[in-house]
Amino acid sequence: MYNFEIERPGTIEEAVAALAAEEAQALGGGQTLIPTLKARLAAPAKLVSLSGIAELKGLRREGDRLVIGSGTTHAEVAREAAEAYPALAALAGGIGDPAVRNRGTIGGSLANNDPSACYPAAVLASGATVITSTREIAADDFFQGMFTTALDDGEIITSVSFPVPQAASYQKFEQPASRFALVGVFVAKFADGVRVAVTGASEDGVFRWSEAEAALSEDFSADAISGLSVSPEGMIGDLHGTPEYRAHLVKVLTGRAVAAA
Amino acid sequence: MAERTRFTLNGAAVEIAAAPGERLSRVLRERLGARDVKVGCEAGDCGACTVLLDGAPVCACLVPAQRAQGRRVETLSGLVAQDPRARALAESFQDFAAAQCGFCTPGMMVAATALLRETPAPDEARVQEALAGVLCRCTGYRKIVAAVMAAGRRAGRRRAAEGGVGTAIRRIDGAAKVEGREAFGDDIAPPGTLEIRLVRSPHAHAAFTFGDLETFAARPGIEAVLTARDIPGLNRFGVIPAFADQPVFAERLARFRGEAVAAIVAAPEALRALAAEDFPVTWQELPAVQGLAEATAPGAPQLHEGRPGNLLCEGLVQCGDAPAALAAADVVVEGVFETSFVEHACIEPEAGFARIDGEGRLEVHACTQAPMMDREALARILSWPVERIRIRPTAVGGGFGTKLDLSVQPFLALAAIRTGRPVRLAYSRAESMQSTTKRHPARIHLTVGAARDGRLRGFDFTGDFDTGAHASWGPTVADRVPVHASGPYRVADYRARTRAIHTHAPPAGAFRGFGVPQAAFAQECLFDELAAKLGMDALEFRLLNALDEGAATVCGQVFERGVGIRACLEALRPGWAAECAAAEDFNAGGGRRRRGVGLAAGWYGCGNTSQSGPSTIRAGLRADGALVLHQGAVDIGQGANTVIAQIFAQALGVPLSALTLVGPDTDLTPDAGKTSASRQTFVSGNAARLAGEALRARILRLANAGPGARLIAGGGRLGVLDNGKTHEINPARLPADSEGYVLRAEKSWDPPTRALDENGQGAPYAQYGYGAQLAVVEVDMALGTTRVLRMAAAHDVGRAINPLLAEGQVEGGIAQGLGMALMEEYVPGRSENLHDYLIPTAGDVPPVEVMIIEEPDPLGPYGAKGLGEHALVPTAAALANAIAAATGVRPRRLPITPARLRALIRAAEK
Repeated sequence: MYNFEIERPGTIEEAVAALAAEEAQALGGGQTLIPTLKARLAAPAKLVSLSGIAELKGLRREGDRLVIGSGTTHAEVAREAAEAYPALAALAGGIGDPAVRNRGTIGGSLANNDPSACYPAAVLASGATVITSTREIAADDFFQGMFTTALDDGEIITSVSFPVPQAASYQKFEQPASRFALVGVFVAKFADGVRVAVTGASEDGVFRWSEAEAALSEDFSADAISGLSVSPEGMIGDLHGTPEYRAHLVKVLTGRAVAAA
Repeated sequence: MAERTRFTLNGAAVEIAAAPGERLSRVLRERLGARDVKVGCEAGDCGACTVLLDGAPVCACLVPAQRAQGRRVETLSGLVAQDPRARALAESFQDFAAAQCGFCTPGMMVAATALLRETPAPDEARVQEALAGVLCRCTGYRKIVAAVMAAGRRAGRRRAAEGGVGTAIRRIDGAAKVEGREAFGDDIAPPGTLEIRLVRSPHAHAAFTFGDLETFAARPGIEAVLTARDIPGLNRFGVIPAFADQPVFAERLARFRGEAVAAIVAAPEALRALAAEDFPVTWQELPAVQGLAEATAPGAPQLHEGRPGNLLCEGLVQCGDAPAALAAADVVVEGVFETSFVEHACIEPEAGFARIDGEGRLEVHACTQAPMMDREALARILSWPVERIRIRPTAVGGGFGTKLDLSVQPFLALAAIRTGRPVRLAYSRAESMQSTTKRHPARIHLTVGAARDGRLRGFDFTGDFDTGAHASWGPTVADRVPVHASGPYRVADYRARTRAIHTHAPPAGAFRGFGVPQAAFAQECLFDELAAKLGMDALEFRLLNALDEGAATVCGQVFERGVGIRACLEALRPGWAAECAAAEDFNAGGGRRRRGVGLAAGWYGCGNTSQSGPSTIRAGLRADGALVLHQGAVDIGQGANTVIAQIFAQALGVPLSALTLVGPDTDLTPDAGKTSASRQTFVSGNAARLAGEALRARILRLANAGPGARLIAGGGRLGVLDNGKTHEINPARLPADSEGYVLRAEKSWDPPTRALDENGQGAPYAQYGYGAQLAVVEVDMALGTTRVLRMAAAHDVGRAINPLLAEGQVEGGIAQGLGMALMEEYVPGRSENLHDYLIPTAGDVPPVEVMIIEEPDPLGPYGAKGLGEHALVPTAAALANAIAAATGVRPRRLPITPARLRALIRAAEK
């Protein structure tokens, strides 16, 4: 690994100031960024560690919403969101392995927007709001294709505000060993309709399956989507599955998520 | 510029000046001496470096050291010393033989300690979940999970440290493994030792030219740059000298992605400052052949001169008249079966250390399965006499065949000689995966016939094996497969032809079974199809055709005793009937999940194929009274250290604790051959038995005692109790030889084999081991996923020298076979890490019922047979048969990934 500097600011303001430097990058739990640096897929001169900023940590209820600090680890969400938003807690508890969950953070996962990460599905399906050091971004505007988000340079996610649905479930097809989602589907039912977000499948990253949303908003049952089909076009094809297989999984897992919600 | 970082390590305050961005794992190992923290991937995939950070398990390789500021770091050695839960785990891991090679053990135990602090008596699912991030390649996880559960409950059986042949004692090297004291390939070098970085081809096939190497070598901190022109001897090696074709450094042409072309030797800081693009080399990518079809196509690029058609070699065994028998058979089935490159994925990447000693001799410490072969190969590369080279094998963090070939050794040797200074080299995970050997992908066309009564009538097998860019063990695979492709059955009319074919891929070499698991996949799957076509039960069909004592194998070899396949199959009979009935009940309920039960059998010849392959064991009584066993058989986790010592102690007639052990070292131990071909228990075991008996005879003669006398040894004293009288031997009064021995015995044993003729007829092996396995799977028909619910395995080991370790071999072999069957596929350039290349995790391996069958072998030590490879031979076939039973579709390509299985199910639904 080449050399880089690490800064450890104690406040959001200090972090934003540190990130203003040339070639600086924010470091969350480091579970993705550190191996990336090893492979030299990224080469920032300075990492700004967010783990020492107390105000980025923890969960709180705000009315009917659940607000999670961006520096909250997956393990903490799994533990502490269990009552307020069980489907989200279950998703967090199913990410990677204990070592990953003890270090990895929700903010890091969202900022990275890996096409097979779990959190983007929850955020998009929940219609959550991503709150940053400068503004609030609706989930529908935040994700802009794999590894791409609406975040500007130097902008830090500070928290994510989730409206809590009436019913929800996340179903993922787990890769053995890595437990990354080959495909994951988050279904969330709100009073005004159903949202369905799919991760791991599309070359454009997480997306909403609007046909399923329409069908499920009419009739929230697995049968409601039985007549739909998902096109393999634009789906990821790799060692672990063809585009056709992923398209197939989207439908199967959506049905199972509805049944489990 | 480096700021000071302070934290506590195992309770003690430490302060370091870590380089910016330096990983905590590296800081712990290289600056703070915590070599109990192991590094297996540096990507958070393997979990070997798991430490506790403020009590929570994390991968130390993913934590920049500065982030430990003010925090509490705990590693295995500290936990075992300070935490009673870790101490309980250390005992329990030994009682269950939960550590085989021991490389993952620190990560496992650290993760388990955190679990027990939070959940004192976890259930199985909780343990599997807690250990999910730590990979093990040896054990199959079941004994680890059981050990953690037992430690939490302070339950479980205490195992003795003492016991003769047939006793399930603890490993004699277990304590070092569970306390983090075991020294593996990268644990020998002192901090600050010069390091080697290799420059490797980024292309599967490329021409290359170097730029100005002199200017590059003059950069500050660089001690040497080595290329092919720096090799004093032969720039060529290979495990089979007649086929040796692999260069240490490629010359002008690289034949696989990852082939080394140069080495940079430098201080660690200087190496870290170098970027890959700094090195002056220009690549010209050339057309490459990938896969058997491309390699054998007309006009394909040729890899080696003198090997037209990219054909390395061929193998043949035939008896009777297979085509005529098939033509006359009542029922015939045929199929084409394909398998993939499989990576050994030892959790320890290849690593070592070398130095020139005070007498100008070269000393190489590295993880290896074949120290004597390493020495001979280095002698040829260096053009040095073997006497000037000393190989000191380190503990080996998994081998499975891949550490039979040279890896780091020539680079270490050349760099140590060039610089005159100690050097070290540890492959990164990517380097290990790119450049070391793989299991051969196979394309097998098999036709099998039977008469209406179920008896086999004709068997015609052709198999092509992708041997990659260099020969490695390709010829062995081509030779072994035709001998074994019949499976343990009576086949009168048989033809098996094999070819080893070069492609621009990493060399395919030895991997647990040398091609036999691939052949068994084809053969055992077709046997199921044949039984179905005949309307016969799959087990009865196998029993009807099983090899018997007195019946000829396809090589015309007849064993009068010790043919255990029938007993193995019979042992599965109750389970087979019950599981088939249970699956039928389950499936009658409908639903998207379908259950299936599958069977497969296998056999495996122990030792070299029709070639001499002796082992020599030396032992002696020293003037100080020590009974010393010089045991050169390398323990790669399978347990040779324990098993060979148990055999020797039994033959000598003393307890294990009376022995002083000298482990593998080419200066100190005679040649016990390579740890391969499941030969150590059989061959080195026999040499140990003979050495023990010989030493005993000498001691008894000294006391003028009869053969039934008892030796009383221990505490520097040796007595002989005969007819109620004790004769004290005082070694100090006996004349000692130059090595300090007053009595010594050195014995060799070579399994008797006979050459194979042009039709493969002869006596290739002095013994075979046998096995049969049963798999119960559940397939999600919509997803195509397979969950293995249970396995049962009956293995004829002749005599289990240590039943606990024998079980460990079976469970570990099954876990690897499960990976090969369901998930493992190495694709150069695409799965060069442990998150794209998937190996089974703690949650993927089902309960395994191990049934040890003992049909004594007349030649084996106390009747024992080899076992290591046998355990994997039938696994993939049993799983494939279970999947076929569950789904009604027949997978013919491994691995049976969910996507592939779903595609088959979908095609059948249409």
